[in-house]
Amino acid sequence: MTDTLKLAVVGHTNVGKTSLLRTLTRDRHFGEVSHRPGTTRHVEGARLSAGGEAVLDLFDTPGMEDAIALRDHYDSLAEPGERLDGPQRIRRLLATPACAQRFEQEAKVLRSLIEANAGLYVIDAREPVLAKYRDELALLGDCGKPLLPVLNFVADPQHRGEEWREMLARQGLHAVVRFDSVAPPGDGERRLYESLALLLEPARPRLEKLIAEHATRRRERLHSAGVLIADLLIDAAACRRPVQGHPEAIATAIEQLHTDLRQREQRCVEELLQLFAFSEEDAEASELPLLDGRWGDDLFHPETLRQLGVQLGSGMAAGAAAGAGIDLLVGGLSLGAAAAIGAIAGGSWQTLSSYGQRLRDRITGHRELTVDDAILRLLALRQQQLLTALDQRGHAARQRLQLSSPEQQQWREGKLPEPVDRARAHPEWSRLNGRLETDSERQKVVQALGRQLLEA
Amino acid sequence: MKFNPIPQPLWLAETLRLREERDGLSDDNEACRLTRAAGGSLGERILARAGLLAPASGLLRAVQNWQRASSLAMLLLVIAAILGGGGLAFSALGSGSTPVNLPWALLSLLGLNLLTLAGWLLGLLLPGGGLFSLGRLWLDLGQRLSHEPDWSPGPAWLLLMERAGLLRRTFGLFSHGLWLLTLSSSLLMLILLLSARRYEFVWETTLLDAGSLAAVIDLLGQLPGLLGFPHPDSSQLLAPVSDDEGRRLWASWLIGSMLVYGLLPRLLLLLACLWRPLPANLLDTSLPGYARLHERLLPEQQSLGVVDPDPQLEAAPLEAPAVQPRGDGAWMVGIELYGRDDWPPQLAGVNDGGVLDDRESRRSLLERFTHQPPQRLLIVCDPQRSADRGTLALLGELQRCAGATRIWLLPAPAGQQLDPERLADWHTALDRAGLIHSSELPAHWLEHGDD
Repeated sequence: MTDTLKLAVVGHTNVGKTSLLRTLTRDRHFGEVSHRPGTTRHVEGARLSAGGEAVLDLFDTPGMEDAIALRDHYDSLAEPGERLDGPQRIRRLLATPACAQRFEQEAKVLRSLIEANAGLYVIDAREPVLAKYRDELALLGDCGKPLLPVLNFVADPQHRGEEWREMLARQGLHAVVRFDSVAPPGDGERRLYESLALLLEPARPRLEKLIAEHATRRRERLHSAGVLIADLLIDAAACRRPVQGHPEAIATAIEQLHTDLRQREQRCVEELLQLFAFSEEDAEASELPLLDGRWGDDLFHPETLRQLGVQLGSGMAAGAAAGAGIDLLVGGLSLGAAAAIGAIAGGSWQTLSSYGQRLRDRITGHRELTVDDAILRLLALRQQQLLTALDQRGHAARQRLQLSSPEQQQWREGKLPEPVDRARAHPEWSRLNGRLETDSERQKVVQALGRQLLEA
Repeated sequence: MKFNPIPQPLWLAETLRLREERDGLSDDNEACRLTRAAGGSLGERILARAGLLAPASGLLRAVQNWQRASSLAMLLLVIAAILGGGGLAFSALGSGSTPVNLPWALLSLLGLNLLTLAGWLLGLLLPGGGLFSLGRLWLDLGQRLSHEPDWSPGPAWLLLMERAGLLRRTFGLFSHGLWLLTLSSSLLMLILLLSARRYEFVWETTLLDAGSLAAVIDLLGQLPGLLGFPHPDSSQLLAPVSDDEGRRLWASWLIGSMLVYGLLPRLLLLLACLWRPLPANLLDTSLPGYARLHERLLPEQQSLGVVDPDPQLEAAPLEAPAVQPRGDGAWMVGIELYGRDDWPPQLAGVNDGGVLDDRESRRSLLERFTHQPPQRLLIVCDPQRSADRGTLALLGELQRCAGATRIWLLPAPAGQQLDPERLADWHTALDRAGLIHSSELPAHWLEHGDD
């Protein structure tokens, strides 16, 4: 088998063939999906590659709707005493005029299965095992290609998977794949390709290559997502705004900080969506904790903190001004004293100049605004929630994701990670403070925090 | 910059990445298309894409500007170094009217150099140090001269050098190189001045006594002595040197010390900082800026388009029955009913046609109806099934066999709900076929023939 492996996805109408293909190709715009029967009326293909090399061609076919009548017609063509095998009889059937008229759609399905290497027969496991499905399988079986049945909708409590397995076994089809809508996509796909490899031994190496490629890409995506979130957190943690002492100036500065931080978070969200090849129109509220591609709950509302279980810190300004910790320069200086000594010895211009500025500010009575720990926790939790949803994309989760995993307790209540603390002492690391010097120290810190986020 | 270890394609790719990180993804559909067609590994494709986007987006121009500006900055620093060195020698020796205070002269010639050398050594020991150096100064100057404050290629170059492990070496090369230049020009000027003018040398000290001073001078004279420089007699130290021989000796001593304690260390360090060959994997494809290009450049899936198009045949016109048979009797029949407790309903005088599922059951019932058409026929369907063509065709056939036909769509079983969309599909399909349907059992019509 030197060409790509060709797979025809066949089955009764409305069983979820096109949806399955969307999941396998990770293309939300493949084909057309609707509740009406007979939505797909043509054969459409998609090619899956690994490392730039084409591996698998998948073909979406129209649903079979009239199998009983077609089988009737098929059987009536048989002459007594003839010695034709299945594929030959099917070809004869396809040549009849009925297959260009009444059975035009079914003919497309049979033709694409004959031209493929194998077929995936998709079953709606909620349906009873009716005669028309048996007739479909009989016709498809006569095409002479290996068939792998895929049981869809197995998550529904009313499904009849066992009855189907029995019927399939009687037809000689013993390898059946469950494709759950709630299982994580990595697992479901892998099992499907592994079962296919059992059915088609010569195709095993390329299918394993496909599985490996998907796994690699997923890891890469997660790693990059970790770095993006870490970048956001470092920017937020290192942010410092000087502010004059009187209340109106403080209020204005807090407002500005809120706006800037919201925008920065939104940018992170957009980058994550882009990374997982999601466009903002696709980001529906039921799948992702977003509303039209934006967070529904405001970052700075105390209610948001409460919902996610983050405790409000003690250093908060009164009223609704959550999220800006007023940091007296004394505290700030002690935090950074060690850094200052290192800076003088190493001779970093930036730190020296910033200390000059802060000394001056101290003398003239300025203060500094920083972002509170609680907000950092909230940012981390929200973004991790989004990341989890994006990773499991492709299988429509029916409910909003619940944030109850114990790994996130650390972010909720525990000590903030070390890179975040370090960032507090380096205001030059924050994009929110103006121009960013991309120095390697910051890069290393971001990478370390990214890894920590993924382990959590 | 003629000596740039970073290959230009890599530098362009990295600068583009930083810029896209800040400004968002560039408009790269055409570039991606050409890159995909050209093939290659992911790294090669990333470089190719940057190369294609560089000219139009001003990236290439920025890089060239930066290189030009850096060369200019280097030139300026070199000139400053030479002039500075010359000036140093000049100020150390003075105009010649006053005798030259030898220890002070040596200190002023080498002092700053030794101080910065110590600073550099300290920077080596501390992590993340080495940022305060002439190298940084050169980069900043280059940045200012290049007039591209927005997204200069400078940071990208620094990042790549850091990843290649060459950054410290480069800054070291720079520091030592410039200082070497300064000291050489200083030395040259020294030799020039000593040759062209007459200087008086004198040793002055307030704190130290003659013995320790002699010891210090002896010590200092060891290394130059190894190289062949004359070692003056330290006994006559504190007296002003007036004869030619003595002056020449001291002048040589000065030159020797400067060579050994000034130029030589810097030269050795310069040689130690020379570049290593570049490591292989400088392009870190795991960075988010590159990771999101992965899908664009090496797509996992691509559409093959429609392979067998829909011929868009017109739906076969439903044959109206030529003559509706008169028929006799009332019948009810179920289609694809499965596990329904509410079937069959108990009705008086109505024949039960059973549940039609497979071919045999359909055929036998149709045969019977063809020979003995019923007057009233009730077909019971389960709207949980899909209203597909096969079922609708069967309904049409049954209708043509009977006098009057009605469809009863069963309600949902106890505890469940019907899918409203599927139910609507049934209604649409039945309406189009011209079949009367309802969700309630038309018992009266079936039993008695009227509503």
